[in-house]
Amino acid sequence: MQKFLSTLRLKKNSIILFFIILLPFIGIFFSLFIGRYPLSWSDIITVFKAAVNSQATQDFPDIYNTVVWKIRLPRAILGAMVGGSLAISGAAFQGLFRNPLVSSGILGVSSGASFGAVLAIILYGQNYMVYFYAFGFALLAVAMSFFIGQIYHSTPTITLVLGGVVVSSIFSALVSFAKFVADPFEKLPSITFWLMGSLATSQYKDILFSIMPISIGVIGLIALRWQINVLSMGDKEAQALGINNILTKIIMVLCASLATAGAISVSGNIGWVGLVMPHIGRMMVGNDNRILIPASFFLGAFFMIVVDNLSRSLIGAEIPLGILTALIGGPFFVYLLKKTKGKGW
Amino acid sequence: MALLEVKEAGFGYGKNNILENINFQMNAGEVICLIGPNGSGKTTLLDCIMGILPLMKGNIFLHGKNISDLRAKEIARIISYVPQIHKKTFPYTVEEIVLMGRASHVGMFGSPDREDVTIAHDAIEIVGIKNLLHRPYTELSGGEGQLVMIARALAQQSSIMIMDEPTTHLDFQNSLTVLEVTRQLAKKRNLSIILATHYLNHAFYFENNGLNTFTAILDKRSFAIFGRPNEVITKDNISKIFKIDCKIIDYDSEEIKKQKYIIPIKLSERKEHLVDV
Repeated sequence: MQKFLSTLRLKKNSIILFFIILLPFIGIFFSLFIGRYPLSWSDIITVFKAAVNSQATQDFPDIYNTVVWKIRLPRAILGAMVGGSLAISGAAFQGLFRNPLVSSGILGVSSGASFGAVLAIILYGQNYMVYFYAFGFALLAVAMSFFIGQIYHSTPTITLVLGGVVVSSIFSALVSFAKFVADPFEKLPSITFWLMGSLATSQYKDILFSIMPISIGVIGLIALRWQINVLSMGDKEAQALGINNILTKIIMVLCASLATAGAISVSGNIGWVGLVMPHIGRMMVGNDNRILIPASFFLGAFFMIVVDNLSRSLIGAEIPLGILTALIGGPFFVYLLKKTKGKGW
Repeated sequence: MALLEVKEAGFGYGKNNILENINFQMNAGEVICLIGPNGSGKTTLLDCIMGILPLMKGNIFLHGKNISDLRAKEIARIISYVPQIHKKTFPYTVEEIVLMGRASHVGMFGSPDREDVTIAHDAIEIVGIKNLLHRPYTELSGGEGQLVMIARALAQQSSIMIMDEPTTHLDFQNSLTVLEVTRQLAKKRNLSIILATHYLNHAFYFENNGLNTFTAILDKRSFAIFGRPNEVITKDNISKIFKIDCKIIDYDSEEIKKQKYIIPIKLSERKEHLVDV
């Protein structure tokens, strides 16, 4: 009976996970219908039909195709990738650091990426160099945190966090300095906009750029998801349970950082998702990282798609994502907290 | 070949020696009660035996293999660990916690399979907490929490179980529950137990119940005493190490005659700062 109950329980959570996995796909589909360019739903259906049936003669303007397939679709896909990466890394870091207040930026990834992007904008203007600089500095920041964490003994979790705090504040200071010296008319607006996050310029080449680091990171974290359970018991117990602490941590930090760096280098700084999506996941599927880790990815992906759709349709101009994630995510989180009475907490 | 052999083991931080010249052996089904004043290095010794701290001197052998040559996974299959204080973080269910005992049998990128779940459930049943299976372990009482930790250790299917002061925070009933579960594991499953404790009576408890028991008393960096409880827990020895006067008494219970018990009476030297009233 007990055995039956527990498989039933895992099954129940797996069914919830199944629906969570569907969410981003539904989100991407509906994103194609939302946007500033005036396309009626029947127009879009015609575009779909034309895509499925290539023999049919095209009886609508080419711009329809461009809007649906070259603007809305890549943007929704990229949004899903970015939101998913931030959420899954956040969930992994929360488990690793045994701290529910930790987010994907804990080891300085975000501030490193911010500085890299700002530096590139000052040096080269707003072009593809921003990605490379953001990505490079994000990983550099994590590496620095890691080495600072190792100064004292092996890699105790607390010094790793401290390393992250130190590195984050250094890069934040550098970002402030860069903003201070940047050309206030030409460069400062792009810097500020980047720092608030946006998917406005998404194209397929952005997906191509970030798909490698994000897939490696996400697949790695999903593979390690049960080990994260064990690591969250703390260094000593995890080792006594037979985990190779240092190696597992290094792989985990590397995966989470790759995914986060890949995401924010194309989207800019987006807060909140990496902190809160894992908690929403916990309320829905419990604490077992075997289910929570994949659930966080798909929840984060769905959330980002929704937020991005709002960002481009709420008012005339695009609202930066970083602002909306907090404005929408905050009240939603409180609602969930009330509804589930903090279940899983 | 002994299951566990500690040879001239020493450990320290920098010039500050904590352990020196520790020697002992252990075989299947034996219970060693590791006793020592606060700060005497009990936990440090346990950490060395589990390979968490590397020895500075000497060697530790598990099944004849030097522990410094073994990976965490290999050690965990031989030694399991019940922590003194478990810092709870996320509200995992009891089942999820006990399943973590299978970590040394699961690959780095793997998850526990059906068989692991069965083993975890058996462990939960053995320590008698089946009714708690799906409860978040953060909501459990101290005694229940300790039983969960024992079940997790049991799921490791190791031959040695190390327990660090498992009854320290527990009330009478719960500490006796933990002791009885431990005793049964040693007796019925031939598990070897190393139990760090402040209570000399724990050593008597296992010996009274017919287990192959040894007492090791750590004092000034090495074993001041190692031997059978009824031979080494004597008035003189205890007074020398703990500087207290005590009495060792015999009593009979319904099942077992001639059980031993030690009662602390008073400090043997009056402490200066204790004011006359």
